[in-house]
Amino acid sequence: MGVKLLLEKAHIPGIRTYEVYRREGGYRSVEKALQSMTPEAIVEEVKKSGLRGRGGAGFPAGMKWSFIAKPEGVPRHLVCNADESEPGTFKDRYLMEFLPHLLIEGLIVASFALGSNNTYIYIRGEYAWIVDILETAINEAKANGWLGENILNSGFDCNIHVQRGAGAYICGEETALIESLEGKRGNPRIKPPFPAIKGLWQRPTVVNNVETLAAVVPIINIGGDEYAKIGVGRSTGTKLISACGNINKPGVYEIDMTVSVEEFIYSDEYCGGIANGKRLKACIPGGSSVPILPANLLLKTAKGETRYMNYESLSDGGFATGSMMGSGGFIILDEDQCIVKNTYTLARFYRHESCGQCSPCREGTGWMEKLLLRLEKGEGKMSDIDLLWDIQRKIEGNTICPLGDAAAWPVAAAIRHFRDEFEWHVTHAQEAQTRNFGLAHYADPIHVPVTA
Amino acid sequence: MSEQQLFKVTIDNITIEVPAGTTVLQAARSIGGDVAPPAMCFYSKLEGSGGKCRTCLVEVSKGSEKDPRPMPKLVASCRTTVMDGMEVKNITSPKVKDARAGVVEFLLLNHPLDCPICDQAGECHLQDLGYEHGKEGTRYEFQRRTFKKYDLGQYIQLHMTRCILCYRCVFTADQLTEKREHGVLDRGDHAQIATFIEKNLHNDFIGNVIDVCPVGALTDKTFRFKNRVWFLKPLDAHRDCPTCSGRVTLWNRGDEVFRVTARKDEWGEIEDTPDGKTGWICNTCRFEKKKTSDWMIEGPRNVNRHSVISQGHYVGLQKPQETIEKVLDGRQPKLLMDIHNISDVNKPSVELSAINGAATSSVFNK
Repeated sequence: MGVKLLLEKAHIPGIRTYEVYRREGGYRSVEKALQSMTPEAIVEEVKKSGLRGRGGAGFPAGMKWSFIAKPEGVPRHLVCNADESEPGTFKDRYLMEFLPHLLIEGLIVASFALGSNNTYIYIRGEYAWIVDILETAINEAKANGWLGENILNSGFDCNIHVQRGAGAYICGEETALIESLEGKRGNPRIKPPFPAIKGLWQRPTVVNNVETLAAVVPIINIGGDEYAKIGVGRSTGTKLISACGNINKPGVYEIDMTVSVEEFIYSDEYCGGIANGKRLKACIPGGSSVPILPANLLLKTAKGETRYMNYESLSDGGFATGSMMGSGGFIILDEDQCIVKNTYTLARFYRHESCGQCSPCREGTGWMEKLLLRLEKGEGKMSDIDLLWDIQRKIEGNTICPLGDAAAWPVAAAIRHFRDEFEWHVTHAQEAQTRNFGLAHYADPIHVPVTA
Repeated sequence: MSEQQLFKVTIDNITIEVPAGTTVLQAARSIGGDVAPPAMCFYSKLEGSGGKCRTCLVEVSKGSEKDPRPMPKLVASCRTTVMDGMEVKNITSPKVKDARAGVVEFLLLNHPLDCPICDQAGECHLQDLGYEHGKEGTRYEFQRRTFKKYDLGQYIQLHMTRCILCYRCVFTADQLTEKREHGVLDRGDHAQIATFIEKNLHNDFIGNVIDVCPVGALTDKTFRFKNRVWFLKPLDAHRDCPTCSGRVTLWNRGDEVFRVTARKDEWGEIEDTPDGKTGWICNTCRFEKKKTSDWMIEGPRNVNRHSVISQGHYVGLQKPQETIEKVLDGRQPKLLMDIHNISDVNKPSVELSAINGAATSSVFNK
């Protein structure tokens, strides 16, 4: 049983209410932070903890906080990014639904550290019922003196506002989120300037993921050094993984990042193995936009070492043989799944969600979708595969925001690792309509060259 | 600051000094020629424009004197400011050329390529871009996206099918007019420029969206299908206008004024007036003053000689001497037959600029 910091009390009945949450030791971190720590000390503590952004990019949170500009007389803002729209990721929903006070507690501490008197939670529009949960929790916290003016006589004022998005994936990108929060069309801004300098209403802003902000609570409670001892290397603390796909026990799991991928998939504590006794074919380990990996590369790295569920190990081998931790949306595909169809589905998603602002993403995503549909329907040509590769190459890195990369990576990885399945869809077009390519050699052990 | 700080920047091995805060694109334009990256969405007169089309991507091989690390990705030169000692590669970088060819292909993907019937042909930035940086064919084998044509008020037609979503018209409407009435609806490759409520734009300056449009998506309804721009003679002219500067370019054929536009510089941007303001023109000047007598003509407008508009316009041309009089011992040649007595084609009394729509046989058969 691994360490649990966030979901430890999630099973307690009534933990959603203030009374139970407080009784279970909630809001201790606010007391500690506001009464005995300076904002600088909190930032320092978060830096020491090595906490990395849980939204996908994995940027050190303490570092991000220290970048915020502090011009005289200009308000600063903290924005909580709850626009969790990555297919396969639902950890923030779980956290907010069952432990709304944990997020609010983390928000108060982080707001104090950053000097944000008006803090916003930007939540995706589809999470309509969670808005009510959060607002109830905010009102409870306010009634008990944790929010509002002069919290705990520290002279610090803080209010939290919940804002619903209108259902756009792109609004999870921090600058698009800020635009949307300002009431504009959710187009990503061109950086620089970064939000830390000019964000919400041109004021210094920090945008953090729900899980990142919730993780501030245990960091303050146990101290940054203690937090850094959990986990391994630069992957400190615990991470929520939302496991889904063809597994026996889909759900949100908290891991301390020392678990191997194999253990995570097959142990009864976590996913409980592949459903219906099937075999593992492939996995998208960090939400739909990270590269897909075949079974053999998922369980072992190209060097033949065991792969673990942490930032470094999952990205071992770069994009050639590795993937990314991403946002922790762990999607398992069994032997009956068709990679071409899966890639098409993702391409369709990114085409639909592209904001249309910059040309490579706007035009390229639609083109890739059409090509993949043609391949999936058995009407493709061999040259389509190379064309897809060329299109993704020309999108990646040439766009304003990471959505272009996110659209390009799944296509690139699918072709890189599953090219023979794509080719089979061309050479055996008729057959591809009636049956799947199956597991083929994707779980075969990889030959590791021995060096003297 | 008393003295403006100057930064040294090297673009394609040409070093120049520019004031701090200049963008890489503007610095490259001050060198000119092939060094200047193409720009489809950036418009220096519009605040916040640029960064979207990605045609002006350049490679920064050295960040600055202080921090010589190269930038990891290609950057949009229109939105990147120069640093002291920065080294930029534009046409000397294979990466940039490759990425740019990709962007051109993307931009042309859903473009209808209806240049033969498009009023923008001849002064279209996308044509230039495709000609200079594109490939001869496309690899796109699917149906292109199409939209219905819309009238934005009585003077402007929106043909979204041709639009490359540069957002210039949105910025123009936002910054020039008091109440922005149009913007971008929907997203991705089905995003479209549209009016929010009704298809009417009432504003004295809304006609400028036609001038900023790099393609033929927004066209002048008083000029549609009247003439090809390269058959017209651009003339600088002005009038005493109470609303705008009144400094325009007239596009004449003979004495007929076919079209009035603002004066554009070599980058296709509207020139500044002598008092330093951008020379936007009002709708009255643009759409309603279509008589030569409305204008004080200053002289021919110099259009870049590489432009198709300049074909047949020769500067300093020496005409050969007419010899017919000499041969006929000083007598004038006699007109034997006036074609208009025989045929009704091209009635000289019909003013082409005054008819509504394109000139067809019905115009002459009346």
